[in-house]
Amino acid sequence: MVVTRMGDGSFITMTRDEVLRDVEEGVADAVKRGKIEPLSSDEIEHIVDICCRPQKFVSVEKGNELVLTYDSGTLKVTRLGIPIGMPQILQLYERVFGADSLELAYVHYSFKPIKSIVPEEQYAVAETSLVTTAPLLYGAMPNLPLYTKPDGPCENAAELLPMGKIEEAKRAQEEAAEYAIKDMVFVSSGVYEAGADGIDFDTTAAAGDAEFYATLKATEILREKYPDMAIEIGMAGEFVLGFHGSIEYDGVRLAGLYPHKQVGLAEKAGASVFGAVVNTNSSRTFPWNLGRAVTFCKACREAANIPVHANVGMGVGAVPLVMTPPIDCVSRASTAMAEVGKMDGL
Amino acid sequence: MDKQEFLDKVAQSVIDSDEELAEQLAKQALEEGMDPLEVINKGYVVGIKQVGDMFECGELFLPELIQSAEAVKKATEILNEAIAGGEEKKAKGKVLIATVEGDIHDIGKAIVVSLLVANGFDVVDMGRDVPVADIIAKAEEFGAQVIGTSALLTTTMVRQQELEKALVEKGLKGKFKTVVGGAPVTVRWAEKIGADAYAENAGEGVNKIMQLLEG
Repeated sequence: MVVTRMGDGSFITMTRDEVLRDVEEGVADAVKRGKIEPLSSDEIEHIVDICCRPQKFVSVEKGNELVLTYDSGTLKVTRLGIPIGMPQILQLYERVFGADSLELAYVHYSFKPIKSIVPEEQYAVAETSLVTTAPLLYGAMPNLPLYTKPDGPCENAAELLPMGKIEEAKRAQEEAAEYAIKDMVFVSSGVYEAGADGIDFDTTAAAGDAEFYATLKATEILREKYPDMAIEIGMAGEFVLGFHGSIEYDGVRLAGLYPHKQVGLAEKAGASVFGAVVNTNSSRTFPWNLGRAVTFCKACREAANIPVHANVGMGVGAVPLVMTPPIDCVSRASTAMAEVGKMDGL
Repeated sequence: MDKQEFLDKVAQSVIDSDEELAEQLAKQALEEGMDPLEVINKGYVVGIKQVGDMFECGELFLPELIQSAEAVKKATEILNEAIAGGEEKKAKGKVLIATVEGDIHDIGKAIVVSLLVANGFDVVDMGRDVPVADIIAKAEEFGAQVIGTSALLTTTMVRQQELEKALVEKGLKGKFKTVVGGAPVTVRWAEKIGADAYAENAGEGVNKIMQLLEG
Protein backbone atom coordinates (compact mmCIF):
# COMPACT_ATOMS: atom_id res chain seq x y z
CA MET A 1 0.00 0.00 0.00
CA VAL A 2 1.04 3.58 -0.68
CA VAL A 3 0.73 6.08 2.14
CA THR A 4 -0.23 9.45 0.73
CA ARG A 5 -2.58 12.31 1.59
CA MET A 6 -5.77 14.05 0.70
CA GLY A 7 -5.61 17.66 -0.46
CA ASP A 8 -6.52 18.71 3.09
CA GLY A 9 -3.40 16.97 4.42
CA SER A 10 -5.03 13.94 6.04
CA PHE A 11 -3.25 10.60 5.55
CA ILE A 12 -4.77 7.92 3.32
CA THR A 13 -3.56 4.65 1.87
CA MET A 14 -4.00 3.67 -1.76
CA THR A 15 -2.91 0.81 -3.98
CA ARG A 16 -0.57 1.60 -6.87
CA ASP A 17 -3.49 1.09 -9.26
CA GLU A 18 -5.58 3.59 -7.33
CA VAL A 19 -2.73 6.10 -7.46
CA LEU A 20 -2.48 5.57 -11.22
CA ARG A 21 -6.23 6.03 -11.64
CA ASP A 22 -6.20 9.28 -9.64
CA VAL A 23 -3.20 10.69 -11.50
CA GLU A 24 -4.93 9.90 -14.80
CA GLU A 25 -8.14 11.54 -13.61
CA GLY A 26 -6.23 14.64 -12.47
CA VAL A 27 -4.54 14.87 -15.86
CA ALA A 28 -7.92 14.47 -17.59
CA ASP A 29 -9.43 17.26 -15.50
CA ALA A 30 -6.64 19.66 -16.51
CA VAL A 31 -7.02 18.66 -20.15
CA LYS A 32 -10.76 19.24 -20.05
CA ARG A 33 -10.64 22.58 -18.26
CA GLY A 34 -7.56 24.05 -19.93
CA LYS A 35 -8.10 22.46 -23.35
CA ILE A 36 -4.47 21.39 -23.28
CA GLU A 37 -2.51 18.28 -24.23
CA PRO A 38 -2.46 15.39 -21.74
CA LEU A 39 0.74 13.96 -20.28
CA SER A 40 2.12 10.90 -22.03
CA SER A 41 1.73 7.46 -20.42
CA ASP A 42 5.47 7.51 -19.54
CA GLU A 43 5.04 10.86 -17.80
CA ILE A 44 2.01 9.60 -15.91
CA GLU A 45 3.99 6.52 -14.84
CA HIS A 46 6.79 8.79 -13.66
CA ILE A 47 4.36 10.75 -11.47
CA VAL A 48 2.90 7.52 -10.11
CA ASP A 49 6.43 6.35 -9.31
CA ILE A 50 7.17 9.63 -7.49
CA CYS A 51 3.95 9.24 -5.46
CA CYS A 52 4.65 5.60 -4.60
CA ARG A 53 8.27 5.86 -3.45
CA PRO A 54 8.47 4.77 0.20
CA GLN A 55 10.79 7.59 1.31
CA LYS A 56 9.36 10.46 3.30
CA PHE A 57 11.42 12.95 1.26
CA VAL A 58 12.06 12.41 -2.42
CA SER A 59 14.14 14.47 -4.80
CA VAL A 60 15.32 14.82 -8.36
CA GLU A 61 18.07 12.93 -10.12
CA LYS A 62 21.36 14.79 -10.29
CA GLY A 63 21.21 17.37 -13.04
CA ASN A 64 17.49 18.01 -12.70
CA GLU A 65 17.82 20.60 -9.93
CA LEU A 66 15.86 23.80 -10.33
CA VAL A 67 16.31 27.43 -9.47
CA LEU A 68 14.73 27.91 -6.05
CA THR A 69 12.95 31.13 -5.19
CA TYR A 70 10.70 32.19 -2.34
CA ASP A 71 7.99 34.82 -2.34
CA SER A 72 7.35 37.17 0.57
CA GLY A 73 10.54 35.81 2.14
CA THR A 74 10.98 38.37 4.88
CA LEU A 75 7.43 37.92 6.11
CA LYS A 76 7.63 34.20 6.70
CA VAL A 77 10.36 34.42 9.32
CA THR A 78 8.84 37.48 10.95
CA ARG A 79 5.60 35.54 11.42
CA LEU A 80 7.47 33.01 13.55
CA GLY A 81 8.11 35.76 16.09
CA ILE A 82 11.87 35.70 15.65
CA PRO A 83 13.22 39.19 16.37
CA ILE A 84 15.41 39.67 13.33
CA GLY A 85 15.76 42.37 10.69
CA MET A 86 14.96 42.03 7.00
CA PRO A 87 18.57 41.95 5.72
CA GLN A 88 19.43 39.17 8.18
CA ILE A 89 16.37 37.16 7.19
CA LEU A 90 17.42 37.33 3.56
CA GLN A 91 20.97 36.32 4.51
CA LEU A 92 19.41 33.21 6.07
CA TYR A 93 17.50 32.49 2.87
CA GLU A 94 20.66 32.88 0.83
CA ARG A 95 23.13 31.10 3.07
CA VAL A 96 21.00 28.55 4.96
CA PHE A 97 17.93 27.76 2.88
CA GLY A 98 19.71 27.69 -0.48
CA ALA A 99 17.54 30.31 -2.16
CA ASP A 100 18.70 31.37 -5.60
CA SER A 101 16.88 34.68 -5.43
CA LEU A 102 15.72 36.78 -2.50
CA GLU A 103 12.56 38.73 -1.96
CA LEU A 104 12.24 41.64 0.37
CA ALA A 105 8.70 42.44 1.44
CA TYR A 106 6.85 44.75 3.79
CA VAL A 107 4.49 43.13 6.28
CA HIS A 108 1.32 44.41 4.61
CA TYR A 109 2.54 43.04 1.27
CA SER A 110 0.36 45.28 -0.91
CA PHE A 111 1.45 48.17 -3.12
CA LYS A 112 -1.10 50.65 -1.81
CA PRO A 113 0.14 50.85 1.81
CA ILE A 114 3.76 50.63 0.69
CA LYS A 115 3.61 53.79 -1.42
CA SER A 116 3.64 55.93 1.71
CA ILE A 117 6.75 54.22 3.11
CA VAL A 118 8.82 53.87 -0.04
CA PRO A 119 11.80 55.79 1.45
CA GLU A 120 11.96 53.27 4.31
CA GLU A 121 11.75 50.35 1.93
CA GLN A 122 14.46 51.91 -0.23
CA TYR A 123 16.70 51.96 2.82
CA ALA A 124 15.97 48.27 3.51
CA VAL A 125 16.69 47.41 -0.13
CA ALA A 126 19.97 49.30 -0.11
CA GLU A 127 21.03 47.77 3.20
CA THR A 128 20.15 44.23 2.05
CA SER A 129 21.89 44.59 -1.27
CA LEU A 130 25.11 45.41 0.59
CA VAL A 131 25.09 42.13 2.54
CA THR A 132 23.71 39.62 0.02
CA THR A 133 24.84 38.44 -3.41
CA ALA A 134 21.78 36.65 -4.84
CA PRO A 135 19.41 38.62 -7.09
CA LEU A 136 17.23 40.78 -4.86
CA LEU A 137 13.56 41.24 -5.76
CA TYR A 138 11.06 43.44 -4.00
CA GLY A 139 7.67 41.76 -3.72
CA ALA A 140 4.09 42.85 -3.09
CA MET A 141 0.56 42.07 -4.18
CA PRO A 142 -1.40 44.31 -6.60
CA ASN A 143 -4.41 43.79 -4.27
CA LEU A 144 -7.08 45.66 -6.22
CA PRO A 145 -9.77 45.48 -3.49
CA LEU A 146 -7.73 47.95 -1.39
CA TYR A 147 -8.82 50.63 -3.88
CA THR A 148 -12.51 49.95 -3.31
CA LYS A 149 -14.87 51.03 -0.56
CA PRO A 150 -14.56 50.96 2.41
CA ASP A 151 -10.77 50.72 2.00
CA GLY A 152 -10.42 52.97 -1.04
CA PRO A 153 -12.07 55.59 -3.24
CA CYS A 154 -13.76 53.34 -5.83
CA GLU A 155 -17.14 51.66 -5.58
CA ASN A 156 -17.00 48.01 -4.52
CA ALA A 157 -17.77 45.61 -7.38
CA ALA A 158 -18.35 42.78 -4.92
CA GLU A 159 -21.32 44.74 -3.60
CA LEU A 160 -22.51 46.11 -6.94
CA LEU A 161 -22.53 42.84 -8.87
CA PRO A 162 -24.97 40.90 -6.67
CA MET A 163 -27.30 43.93 -6.97
CA GLY A 164 -27.21 43.57 -10.75
CA LYS A 165 -25.30 46.84 -11.25
CA ILE A 166 -23.02 45.36 -13.86
CA GLU A 167 -21.87 48.42 -15.76
CA GLU A 168 -21.19 50.29 -12.49
CA ALA A 169 -19.19 47.29 -11.22
CA LYS A 170 -17.14 47.23 -14.41
CA ARG A 171 -16.41 50.95 -14.25
CA ALA A 172 -15.42 50.67 -10.57
CA GLN A 173 -12.92 47.92 -11.38
CA GLU A 174 -11.46 49.88 -14.28
CA GLU A 175 -11.05 52.90 -12.02
CA ALA A 176 -9.42 50.79 -9.30
CA ALA A 177 -7.06 49.30 -11.88
CA GLU A 178 -5.81 52.76 -12.83
CA TYR A 179 -5.02 53.55 -9.19
CA ALA A 180 -3.27 50.20 -8.81
CA ILE A 181 -1.14 50.74 -11.92
CA LYS A 182 0.09 54.09 -10.56
CA ASP A 183 1.05 52.57 -7.21
CA MET A 184 2.74 49.54 -8.75
CA VAL A 185 4.83 51.72 -11.03
CA PHE A 186 5.65 54.21 -8.26
CA VAL A 187 6.75 51.64 -5.68
CA SER A 188 8.58 49.44 -8.18
CA SER A 189 10.48 52.43 -9.56
CA GLY A 190 11.48 53.49 -6.06
CA VAL A 191 12.85 50.15 -4.93
CA TYR A 192 14.54 49.47 -8.27
CA GLU A 193 16.32 52.81 -8.14
CA ALA A 194 17.42 52.00 -4.58
CA GLY A 195 19.22 48.90 -5.77
CA ALA A 196 16.71 46.03 -6.09
CA ASP A 197 17.30 43.83 -9.13
CA GLY A 198 13.63 43.58 -9.84
CA ILE A 199 10.04 43.33 -8.69
CA ASP A 200 7.72 40.42 -7.99
CA PHE A 201 4.04 41.05 -8.61
CA ASP A 202 2.80 38.33 -6.29
CA THR A 203 -0.69 36.80 -6.06
CA THR A 204 -1.64 38.55 -9.27
CA ALA A 205 -5.29 38.44 -10.35
CA ALA A 206 -6.53 37.42 -6.91
CA ALA A 207 -9.33 39.93 -7.51
CA GLY A 208 -9.86 38.76 -11.07
CA ASP A 209 -9.33 39.99 -14.60
CA ALA A 210 -9.13 43.73 -13.83
CA GLU A 211 -6.28 43.08 -11.41
CA PHE A 212 -4.47 40.99 -14.02
CA TYR A 213 -4.95 43.86 -16.47
CA ALA A 214 -3.48 46.35 -13.98
CA THR A 215 -0.44 44.14 -13.43
CA LEU A 216 0.17 43.68 -17.15
CA LYS A 217 -0.11 47.42 -17.76
CA ALA A 218 2.25 48.21 -14.85
CA THR A 219 4.71 45.65 -16.24
CA GLU A 220 4.51 47.26 -19.66
CA ILE A 221 5.24 50.73 -18.25
CA LEU A 222 8.10 49.50 -16.09
CA ARG A 223 9.67 47.54 -18.94
CA GLU A 224 9.73 50.66 -21.07
CA LYS A 225 11.09 52.74 -18.22
CA TYR A 226 13.71 50.21 -17.04
CA PRO A 227 14.76 47.82 -19.85
CA ASP A 228 17.01 45.79 -17.52
CA MET A 229 14.63 45.43 -14.59
CA ALA A 230 13.68 41.84 -13.65
CA ILE A 231 9.91 41.53 -13.43
CA GLU A 232 8.21 38.42 -12.12
CA ILE A 233 4.46 37.98 -12.45
CA GLY A 234 3.30 35.35 -9.99
CA MET A 235 -0.33 34.37 -10.21
CA ALA A 236 -2.92 33.89 -7.47
CA GLY A 237 -4.69 30.92 -9.04
CA GLU A 238 -4.88 28.75 -12.12
CA PHE A 239 -7.81 30.60 -13.64
CA VAL A 240 -8.34 34.33 -14.18
CA LEU A 241 -11.64 35.06 -12.53
CA GLY A 242 -14.03 37.02 -14.74
CA PHE A 243 -15.07 39.51 -12.13
CA HIS A 244 -15.11 42.26 -14.74
CA GLY A 245 -15.78 39.81 -17.54
CA SER A 246 -14.83 41.77 -20.62
CA ILE A 247 -11.58 43.59 -19.87
CA GLU A 248 -8.88 42.91 -22.44
CA TYR A 249 -5.12 43.23 -22.75
CA ASP A 250 -3.57 43.34 -26.21
CA GLY A 251 -6.92 42.36 -27.71
CA VAL A 252 -7.28 39.26 -25.52
CA ARG A 253 -10.15 38.87 -23.06
CA LEU A 254 -8.50 38.13 -19.73
CA ALA A 255 -11.35 36.32 -18.00
CA GLY A 256 -11.04 32.57 -18.02
CA LEU A 257 -7.39 32.29 -19.05
CA TYR A 258 -5.41 29.32 -17.76
CA PRO A 259 -1.61 29.38 -17.17
CA HIS A 260 -0.59 28.48 -20.73
CA LYS A 261 -2.53 31.52 -22.01
CA GLN A 262 -1.60 33.81 -19.09
CA VAL A 263 2.11 33.39 -19.72
CA GLY A 264 1.90 34.71 -23.30
CA LEU A 265 0.40 37.97 -22.11
CA ALA A 266 2.90 38.27 -19.27
CA GLU A 267 5.63 37.87 -21.86
CA LYS A 268 4.12 40.49 -24.17
CA ALA A 269 3.86 42.95 -21.29
CA GLY A 270 7.56 42.50 -20.56
CA ALA A 271 7.77 40.03 -17.67
CA SER A 272 11.06 38.17 -17.22
CA VAL A 273 9.70 35.27 -15.13
CA PHE A 274 6.19 33.81 -14.84
CA GLY A 275 4.98 32.13 -11.67
CA ALA A 276 2.38 29.52 -12.64
CA VAL A 277 -0.17 28.56 -10.02
CA VAL A 278 -2.48 25.56 -9.92
CA ASN A 279 -4.89 25.36 -7.01
CA THR A 280 -5.08 22.28 -4.81
CA ASN A 281 -8.50 20.72 -4.45
CA SER A 282 -8.65 19.80 -0.76
CA SER A 283 -11.34 17.16 -1.36
CA ARG A 284 -9.23 15.16 -3.83
CA THR A 285 -6.11 13.07 -3.28
CA PHE A 286 -2.52 14.23 -3.61
CA PRO A 287 -1.95 12.02 -6.71
CA TRP A 288 -5.03 13.54 -8.38
CA ASN A 289 -3.86 17.06 -7.59
CA LEU A 290 -0.31 16.29 -8.71
CA GLY A 291 -1.35 14.87 -12.07
CA ARG A 292 -3.52 17.91 -12.63
CA ALA A 293 -0.97 20.52 -11.49
CA VAL A 294 1.88 19.08 -13.55
CA THR A 295 -0.31 18.90 -16.68
CA PHE A 296 -1.21 22.58 -16.40
CA CYS A 297 2.36 23.67 -15.61
CA LYS A 298 3.91 21.60 -18.40
CA ALA A 299 1.50 23.18 -20.92
CA CYS A 300 2.46 26.59 -19.56
CA ARG A 301 6.18 25.86 -19.89
CA GLU A 302 5.73 24.66 -23.45
CA ALA A 303 3.85 27.83 -24.38
CA ALA A 304 6.43 30.14 -22.77
CA ASN A 305 9.51 31.90 -24.04
CA ILE A 306 10.42 33.17 -20.58
CA PRO A 307 11.32 31.07 -17.53
CA VAL A 308 8.35 29.53 -15.69
CA HIS A 309 8.52 28.92 -11.94
CA ALA A 310 5.78 26.70 -10.50
CA ASN A 311 4.30 27.75 -7.17
CA VAL A 312 4.67 24.82 -4.78
CA GLY A 313 3.35 25.79 -1.36
CA MET A 314 0.31 25.74 0.89
CA GLY A 315 -2.73 24.96 -1.26
CA VAL A 316 -1.01 25.28 -4.63
CA GLY A 317 1.01 23.04 -6.96
CA ALA A 318 -0.63 19.91 -5.48
CA VAL A 319 0.60 20.72 -1.97
CA PRO A 320 -2.13 20.09 0.63
CA LEU A 321 -3.99 22.93 2.24
CA VAL A 322 -2.42 22.88 5.70
CA MET A 323 -0.59 25.53 7.70
CA THR A 324 2.75 23.70 7.54
CA PRO A 325 2.99 22.06 4.13
CA PRO A 326 4.01 18.41 4.63
CA ILE A 327 7.47 17.65 3.31
CA ASP A 328 6.42 14.30 1.78
CA CYS A 329 4.07 16.17 -0.56
CA VAL A 330 6.22 19.29 -1.08
CA SER A 331 9.23 17.19 -2.10
CA ARG A 332 7.15 14.97 -4.41
CA ALA A 333 5.43 17.94 -6.04
CA SER A 334 8.77 19.69 -6.53
CA THR A 335 10.31 16.57 -8.04
CA ALA A 336 7.40 16.06 -10.45
CA MET A 337 7.44 19.74 -11.46
CA ALA A 338 11.15 19.44 -12.29
CA GLU A 339 11.24 16.06 -14.00
CA VAL A 340 7.84 15.94 -15.71
CA GLY A 341 6.67 19.55 -15.79
CA LYS A 342 10.12 20.68 -16.99
CA MET A 343 9.89 23.87 -14.96
CA ASP A 344 12.70 26.40 -14.88
CA GLY A 345 12.30 27.03 -11.19
CA LEU A 346 10.12 26.73 -8.14
CA MET B 1 -42.30 26.91 -34.27
CA ASP B 2 -43.33 23.85 -32.22
CA LYS B 3 -43.41 23.86 -28.42
CA GLN B 4 -39.96 22.33 -27.94
CA GLU B 5 -38.40 24.82 -30.32
CA PHE B 6 -40.06 27.62 -28.40
CA LEU B 7 -38.78 26.28 -25.06
CA ASP B 8 -35.27 25.92 -26.52
CA LYS B 9 -35.45 29.54 -27.66
CA VAL B 10 -36.49 30.55 -24.13
CA ALA B 11 -33.51 28.67 -22.64
CA GLN B 12 -31.17 30.21 -25.22
CA SER B 13 -32.36 33.73 -24.37
CA VAL B 14 -31.21 33.04 -20.79
CA ILE B 15 -27.86 31.61 -21.92
CA ASP B 16 -27.33 34.69 -24.11
CA SER B 17 -28.25 36.95 -21.14
CA ASP B 18 -30.80 38.56 -23.48
CA GLU B 19 -33.17 40.20 -21.02
CA GLU B 20 -35.34 41.80 -23.69
CA LEU B 21 -35.91 38.57 -25.60
CA ALA B 22 -36.52 36.61 -22.39
CA GLU B 23 -39.30 39.03 -21.42
CA GLN B 24 -40.73 39.10 -24.94
CA LEU B 25 -40.91 35.27 -25.03
CA ALA B 26 -42.70 35.22 -21.67
CA LYS B 27 -45.37 37.55 -23.06
CA GLN B 28 -45.59 35.50 -26.27
CA ALA B 29 -46.07 32.29 -24.26
CA LEU B 30 -49.06 33.83 -22.47
CA GLU B 31 -50.53 35.17 -25.70
CA GLU B 32 -50.30 31.70 -27.24
CA GLY B 33 -51.96 30.12 -24.19
CA MET B 34 -49.01 28.06 -23.04
CA ASP B 35 -48.80 26.73 -19.48
CA PRO B 36 -46.70 29.34 -17.60
CA LEU B 37 -45.30 26.78 -15.17
CA GLU B 38 -44.13 24.56 -18.02
CA VAL B 39 -42.44 27.52 -19.72
CA ILE B 40 -40.67 28.38 -16.46
CA ASN B 41 -39.54 24.84 -15.69
CA LYS B 42 -38.70 23.62 -19.19
CA GLY B 43 -37.44 26.91 -20.60
CA TYR B 44 -36.09 29.42 -18.12
CA VAL B 45 -34.92 26.92 -15.48
CA VAL B 46 -33.19 24.81 -18.14
CA GLY B 47 -31.43 27.94 -19.40
CA ILE B 48 -30.24 29.14 -16.00
CA LYS B 49 -29.02 25.65 -15.12
CA GLN B 50 -26.90 25.62 -18.25
CA VAL B 51 -25.60 29.08 -17.40
CA GLY B 52 -24.54 27.68 -14.00
CA ASP B 53 -22.74 24.79 -15.67
CA MET B 54 -20.96 27.15 -18.09
CA PHE B 55 -19.93 29.37 -15.17
CA GLU B 56 -18.55 26.32 -13.38
CA CYS B 57 -16.48 25.41 -16.45
CA GLY B 58 -15.15 28.95 -16.88
CA GLU B 59 -16.94 29.46 -20.19
CA LEU B 60 -19.06 32.32 -18.87
CA PHE B 61 -18.35 34.87 -16.15
CA LEU B 62 -19.99 36.62 -13.25
CA PRO B 63 -21.47 39.65 -15.08
CA GLU B 64 -23.11 37.32 -17.64
CA LEU B 65 -24.35 35.04 -14.89
CA ILE B 66 -25.99 37.99 -13.16
CA GLN B 67 -27.50 39.29 -16.39
CA SER B 68 -28.94 35.85 -17.09
CA ALA B 69 -30.38 35.64 -13.59
CA GLU B 70 -31.92 39.08 -14.07
CA ALA B 71 -33.47 37.96 -17.38
CA VAL B 72 -35.01 34.93 -15.67
CA LYS B 73 -36.31 37.07 -12.81
CA LYS B 74 -38.05 39.56 -15.11
CA ALA B 75 -39.51 36.91 -17.43
CA THR B 76 -40.79 34.73 -14.60
CA GLU B 77 -42.40 37.75 -12.94
CA ILE B 78 -44.56 38.10 -16.07
CA LEU B 79 -45.43 34.39 -16.06
CA ASN B 80 -46.02 34.23 -12.29
CA GLU B 81 -48.74 36.85 -12.58
CA ALA B 82 -50.64 34.53 -14.91
CA ILE B 83 -50.31 31.44 -12.73
CA ALA B 84 -53.68 30.43 -11.26
CA GLY B 85 -54.39 32.09 -7.93
CA GLY B 86 -51.57 34.54 -8.56
CA GLU B 87 -49.28 32.38 -6.41
CA GLU B 88 -45.69 33.13 -7.13
CA LYS B 89 -43.11 30.42 -7.41
CA LYS B 90 -41.72 30.12 -3.87
CA ALA B 91 -38.04 30.77 -3.13
CA LYS B 92 -36.01 27.58 -2.76
CA GLY B 93 -34.88 28.59 0.69
CA LYS B 94 -33.64 31.44 2.88
CA VAL B 95 -29.89 31.78 3.13
CA LEU B 96 -27.81 34.25 5.11
CA ILE B 97 -24.26 34.81 3.91
CA ALA B 98 -21.37 36.69 5.54
CA THR B 99 -17.61 36.98 5.56
CA VAL B 100 -16.50 36.50 9.16
CA GLU B 101 -15.21 39.21 11.49
CA GLY B 102 -11.67 40.38 10.80
CA ASP B 103 -11.82 39.27 7.20
CA ILE B 104 -12.39 41.83 4.47
CA HIS B 105 -12.44 39.47 1.49
CA ASP B 106 -15.75 39.48 -0.29
CA ILE B 107 -15.23 38.47 -3.92
CA GLY B 108 -15.82 34.76 -3.38
CA LYS B 109 -18.85 35.54 -1.25
CA ALA B 110 -20.25 37.78 -4.01
CA ILE B 111 -20.04 34.87 -6.44
CA VAL B 112 -21.85 32.56 -4.01
CA VAL B 113 -24.58 35.17 -3.46
CA SER B 114 -25.02 35.66 -7.21
CA LEU B 115 -25.25 31.93 -7.85
CA LEU B 116 -27.76 31.43 -5.04
CA VAL B 117 -29.95 34.26 -6.33
CA ALA B 118 -29.69 32.86 -9.86
CA ASN B 119 -30.89 29.52 -8.50
CA GLY B 120 -33.96 31.02 -6.86
CA PHE B 121 -32.87 31.38 -3.23
CA ASP B 122 -33.88 34.27 -1.00
CA VAL B 123 -30.51 35.61 0.17
CA VAL B 124 -29.37 38.14 2.75
CA ASP B 125 -25.77 39.21 2.20
CA MET B 126 -24.37 40.74 5.41
CA GLY B 127 -21.14 41.77 3.74
CA ARG B 128 -17.70 41.35 5.20
CA ASP B 129 -16.09 41.62 8.63
CA VAL B 130 -19.31 40.54 10.38
CA PRO B 131 -19.24 39.56 14.09
CA VAL B 132 -20.75 36.23 15.13
CA ALA B 133 -23.40 37.90 17.32
CA ASP B 134 -24.62 40.00 14.38
CA ILE B 135 -24.82 36.92 12.13
CA ILE B 136 -26.99 35.08 14.64
CA ALA B 137 -29.23 38.08 15.32
CA LYS B 138 -29.81 38.65 11.60
CA ALA B 139 -30.43 34.95 10.97
CA GLU B 140 -33.16 35.00 13.61
CA GLU B 141 -34.71 38.18 12.20
CA PHE B 142 -34.59 36.96 8.59
CA GLY B 143 -35.75 33.46 9.44
CA ALA B 144 -32.76 31.96 7.68
CA GLN B 145 -32.67 28.23 7.08
CA VAL B 146 -28.98 28.22 6.23
CA ILE B 147 -26.05 30.35 7.41
CA GLY B 148 -23.06 30.39 5.07
CA THR B 149 -19.77 31.91 6.20
CA SER B 150 -16.63 32.64 4.26
CA ALA B 151 -13.07 33.06 5.57
CA LEU B 152 -10.08 33.68 3.35
CA LEU B 153 -7.43 33.70 6.06
CA THR B 154 -6.10 31.05 8.40
CA THR B 155 -6.29 33.71 11.09
CA THR B 156 -10.01 34.36 10.59
CA MET B 157 -11.36 30.86 9.97
CA VAL B 158 -11.57 30.42 13.76
CA ARG B 159 -14.60 32.73 13.64
CA GLN B 160 -16.47 29.94 11.87
CA GLN B 161 -15.72 27.77 14.89
CA GLU B 162 -16.94 30.54 17.20
CA LEU B 163 -20.21 30.67 15.27
CA GLU B 164 -20.74 26.93 15.75
CA LYS B 165 -20.02 27.24 19.48
CA ALA B 166 -22.35 30.20 19.83
CA LEU B 167 -25.16 28.36 18.02
CA VAL B 168 -24.75 25.39 20.37
CA GLU B 169 -24.66 27.62 23.47
CA LYS B 170 -27.82 29.44 22.41
CA GLY B 171 -29.60 26.19 21.57
CA LEU B 172 -29.87 27.22 17.90
CA LYS B 173 -27.68 24.56 16.36
CA GLY B 174 -30.57 22.61 14.89
CA LYS B 175 -32.45 25.69 13.79
CA PHE B 176 -29.91 26.91 11.23
CA LYS B 177 -27.87 24.67 8.97
CA THR B 178 -24.31 25.96 8.50
CA VAL B 179 -22.04 25.88 5.47
CA VAL B 180 -18.40 26.99 5.52
CA GLY B 181 -16.10 27.94 2.69
CA GLY B 182 -13.06 30.03 1.80
CA ALA B 183 -9.51 29.45 0.59
CA PRO B 184 -8.00 27.79 3.71
CA VAL B 185 -11.18 25.96 4.71
CA THR B 186 -11.41 22.20 4.14
CA VAL B 187 -13.88 19.41 4.75
CA ARG B 188 -11.69 18.36 7.69
CA TRP B 189 -12.11 21.83 9.22
CA ALA B 190 -15.88 21.70 8.71
CA GLU B 191 -16.04 18.33 10.48
CA LYS B 192 -13.79 19.53 13.29
CA ILE B 193 -15.90 22.58 14.12
CA GLY B 194 -19.24 20.85 13.59
CA ALA B 195 -20.44 22.72 10.51
CA ASP B 196 -23.17 20.95 8.55
CA ALA B 197 -21.42 21.25 5.20
CA TYR B 198 -18.28 22.41 3.44
CA ALA B 199 -18.20 23.82 -0.07
CA GLU B 200 -15.06 23.82 -2.20
CA ASN B 201 -16.42 26.48 -4.57
CA ALA B 202 -19.53 28.56 -5.31
CA GLY B 203 -21.24 25.94 -7.46
CA GLU B 204 -20.72 23.29 -4.82
CA GLY B 205 -22.03 25.76 -2.24
CA VAL B 206 -25.37 25.95 -4.04
CA ASN B 207 -25.57 22.15 -4.34
CA LYS B 208 -24.68 21.62 -0.67
CA ILE B 209 -27.31 24.13 0.44
CA MET B 210 -29.92 22.40 -1.72
CA GLN B 211 -28.95 19.06 -0.15
CA LEU B 212 -29.15 20.51 3.36
CA LEU B 213 -32.61 21.87 2.72
CA GLU B 214 -33.80 18.61 1.20
CA GLY B 215 -32.33 16.61 4.09
